[in-house]
Amino acid sequence: MAANPMHQFQVYRIGPEIKLGNFDLSFTNASLFMLISAISICLFLYFGSKQKNIIPGRLQLVAELFYNFIAKMISDTAGSKAKPYFPFIFTLFMFVLICNMIGMLPYSFTVTSHIIVTLVMAMFIFIAVTIIGFLKHGLKYLSIFVPKGVPVVLLPLITIIEIISYLSRPVSLSVRLFANMMAGHTMLKVFGSFVISLGLLGGWLPLSFSVALTGLEILVAFLQAYVFAILTCIYLNDALNLHH
Amino acid sequence: MDDKDFKTRLKIAKKEFLKNNSEEKEKRGLFMGSAFRLGTELVAAVVVGTIIGFILDNWFGTKPWFIIIFFFIGVIAGIMNVIRVANNMQKKD
Repeated sequence: MAANPMHQFQVYRIGPEIKLGNFDLSFTNASLFMLISAISICLFLYFGSKQKNIIPGRLQLVAELFYNFIAKMISDTAGSKAKPYFPFIFTLFMFVLICNMIGMLPYSFTVTSHIIVTLVMAMFIFIAVTIIGFLKHGLKYLSIFVPKGVPVVLLPLITIIEIISYLSRPVSLSVRLFANMMAGHTMLKVFGSFVISLGLLGGWLPLSFSVALTGLEILVAFLQAYVFAILTCIYLNDALNLHH
Repeated sequence: MDDKDFKTRLKIAKKEFLKNNSEEKEKRGLFMGSAFRLGTELVAAVVVGTIIGFILDNWFGTKPWFIIIFFFIGVIAGIMNVIRVANNMQKKD
């Protein structure tokens, strides 16, 4: 069991089996860790915004830091029109961030290392952005597939290319997060098992690698949440302010 | 008086240091974010192009042709995506 680095990604059922027609709705370890992340975000923000001091305490400071970070990111990348979407992007960022960070704890499960989780989030963003684009601009939204200043001969080809690049958004969004989290955790596990197999004599080198990798993984966990959120902002910007 | 002078200078220096430091870090974070983007952006477009080609082939029964054409269109789309991201990176700089 310890030798297999992919064992940590296994999803298994906790508690009774719940079936709704053909769908398996049982409570799994993935659901458990999603629930833990959601609850810890709620608790953190509830206690962070409870006291409302002018001179903030530690928890309030961190909560306000996250708020300012996301607010600034949205206004920088998508402008003032994207203000109404702040709650969604903030929720998304916090959820991805806390899921990644909880995955860094030993014996825990990284929800974002499963492509189905990241793909659902990315598809939701993709569909929502497309709907927002059509609602705001009507059929004129299709003009994002036709860049300006292209010769007429090349126009069909460029349009196909633009459509493919538009369709590749959810794929790149989901694969990036999933691949980074899975690769990082697999690597941690592999180096961890090297420590055991090389023993007291040669185990120090992989151990030091493990320590460095843990630091790197925490950086990646934060950065991937940030990239996920900022790309959502960029896509939203394309839909709201229609010009490249 | 001397003491006061020193305190104000210290305050200014601290402010300056914090400003530089945080800006530098923020920039580095932005660049790393863009760097993570580049690779997947290329791969995703190729994958999507190939899948579209595969689906079209199944529809029209023209086995290898659409998959070949759309693979290359996907590659072009991926390269264009990467160029776009890189242009944005340079603009920010």
